[in-house]
Amino acid sequence: MITECVAGLGVEYAKLLLVILSLSISASLILLLKMFSMSTKAKIVVIYSHLSTLLFPLVLLTTNIGCASVCAACYTDVSQLMGLAIPTTFLVSTLAGFVAIPAVFVYSNRKREIKSGKIFQFVKNSSTGLKIKQPKIYTINTSKPVAFSFRNFKSAVFLSVGMFDILKWKEVQAVVLHELAHIKQKSSALKLSTFFLRIFSPISILLRFHHTNTEEERKADAVAAKIQKTDRYIKSARNKIAEYEKEFYG
Amino acid sequence: MVDVRKIDLRKDSIGVVSPLQADILKGLWKQEKSTVRELYNTIKNKKKVALTSIAVDLDRLHKKGMVERVTENGLGGPHYIYSVSKSKSEFEKSVLDTTVNKLIEKFGSVAVDYFNDRFSSKNRKR
Repeated sequence: MITECVAGLGVEYAKLLLVILSLSISASLILLLKMFSMSTKAKIVVIYSHLSTLLFPLVLLTTNIGCASVCAACYTDVSQLMGLAIPTTFLVSTLAGFVAIPAVFVYSNRKREIKSGKIFQFVKNSSTGLKIKQPKIYTINTSKPVAFSFRNFKSAVFLSVGMFDILKWKEVQAVVLHELAHIKQKSSALKLSTFFLRIFSPISILLRFHHTNTEEERKADAVAAKIQKTDRYIKSARNKIAEYEKEFYG
Repeated sequence: MVDVRKIDLRKDSIGVVSPLQADILKGLWKQEKSTVRELYNTIKNKKKVALTSIAVDLDRLHKKGMVERVTENGLGGPHYIYSVSKSKSEFEKSVLDTTVNKLIEKFGSVAVDYFNDRFSSKNRKR
């Protein structure tokens, strides 16, 4: 019986149509993102939907094979197959996008958590001022000046040792405020989503979609400048980081 | 072992590193332990240099194994504390050792005969 169902696996028009439909929706979503300007939240939703519809054919295929291997009704009934494949896609992409990949990302980058001192106190006070939950602060063991933030169930700010080496205290504060602004504006989630897009979406490469985070960066800079009442520290921090990179990469 | 590809024999040079890296090593031999900023404050009195250039060159020297670094937590956050892995004489000896090995590797018995002849007791007296 099992052998019979598995042996019967082949191209079925209804299922093929579902695959084509899913990939078309996926491509349309990228075009939508490319053509229209939208809010950060909307961009994240569109990117997430694009990746989910891109994943759907793969889930459909594996569910189909699964149904065939036990000769279940979903093997012949497309509506039952969809009833299984759609929630599975949703579950897999949610787990991957919001739990598994971020967890690996945080784990691979965190080296040492800062739990006290001037920088901890500054993040604590600034988070209260910006009305966001205080993120964890991790240092990355590299001499390159690097700073990024991450918004998940628990937000985190990552700062490299090299950044503390070349920036003055006011410039470090400006960078921290910039990262906290990303967390508040949810743009750190957008940056992570565009990162996923580059890795997992061949469609976005084919359609030459390249999302630059210039606008989000500008907004985060503006928050830092507003709080510090001057943009000189965020500008000098940016200049030093650019100078380091220029020197480093020759 | 120091990586020797070319040797700079000018008076102020220490042979196998760039002029700024030489200044950094000299600074570290003098101060033993130093942060990027402390080295910058020492070197900038002698020549016009950017803090970022020192940070980049310290990282390069660290990757070559010529300087060591440990992370120390200060009030404002962590910093690298750099120190040299070899004393000046150990470093110079290492450069000479590598250079002689490379010469023997390149010129074989000709180099060996040359060194024998050049540094034989008879010629050394001369």
